[in-house]
Amino acid sequence: MNIDDWKSQIKRGTLEFCILLLIKQKSSYGYEIISILDKYPIIAAKENTIYPLLRRLLKEEYIFSFWREGTEGLPPRKYYSLTEKGEEYIAEMSVEWENLMNAINDIRGE
Amino acid sequence: MEKELNAYLGKLEKYLKPVAVSERIDIINEIKSEMQELQGNGMSAEEIIERLGDPKKLAKAYLGDILVKKRGFSLNRFLIACAFFSVVGFSGMIVIPTLAVIAPVFVVCGAICPVIGAVKFLDRILGLGLPYMENVGIFMGASVPINPAAEFLLILFVGVLLFAAGVGAWKLLLFYCRKVSGTAKKLSA
Repeated sequence: MNIDDWKSQIKRGTLEFCILLLIKQKSSYGYEIISILDKYPIIAAKENTIYPLLRRLLKEEYIFSFWREGTEGLPPRKYYSLTEKGEEYIAEMSVEWENLMNAINDIRGE
Repeated sequence: MEKELNAYLGKLEKYLKPVAVSERIDIINEIKSEMQELQGNGMSAEEIIERLGDPKKLAKAYLGDILVKKRGFSLNRFLIACAFFSVVGFSGMIVIPTLAVIAPVFVVCGAICPVIGAVKFLDRILGLGLPYMENVGIFMGASVPINPAAEFLLILFVGVLLFAAGVGAWKLLLFYCRKVSGTAKKLSA
């Protein structure tokens, strides 16, 4: 297997977790999320990945959205916030993430 | 907004036709918002369009999600299922009962043949004069009496044929049922 394949699989499996963690910190809009993820190549993703993913999280009610009017030359922005269901989802994901990290460290013998 | 950007949004809207109107407008507004954001950062219309990529591809990314959701029902699958079960229903009315009757009856007849043949053989050789024996045997038109041993061998042969036909019918029945349930499973998968 090629390392790029592996990296894209990791991205696919963790992007949702990263986006929810970002939204949990503070309500964010799409471009903001893309810009922050862009700083980390392993999870950087383009518009055609992030927006449909946000839409899916919206439909599954892990997040909700609201428009904020633009002021002082800024465009109107669509913000996303975590729902209670989303909070629970993140908590469960965090547990599993811990399990994964522990398992890897254990197997590595560290 | 510049012309190119509006044209991009127009194309995106066109490709998003399968999406409900309210949702479509929301998607367009969100992409428009990002365009304005990028413009505010000093990006040119060309750069923005390059960044967002082919509008068809972007629309597909949204649609992919929706199509996966709606996979539960499609007219095509429904029609295929209708055709399949009609054919199976009609053929099953004939095929299954016919084979189910033929298989055991032929097998039993095939097994009885040598027994009755042997009785007839003994009857003829020893001249026992058992009742009903005139109804047993191989009849070759007219009243040509054939050699008792040859008659017994012919009866054995017919018995084997009947037995084989019975087993064949049974196997055919199993094959038919397996094939039908296999296809039905594939259709509902």
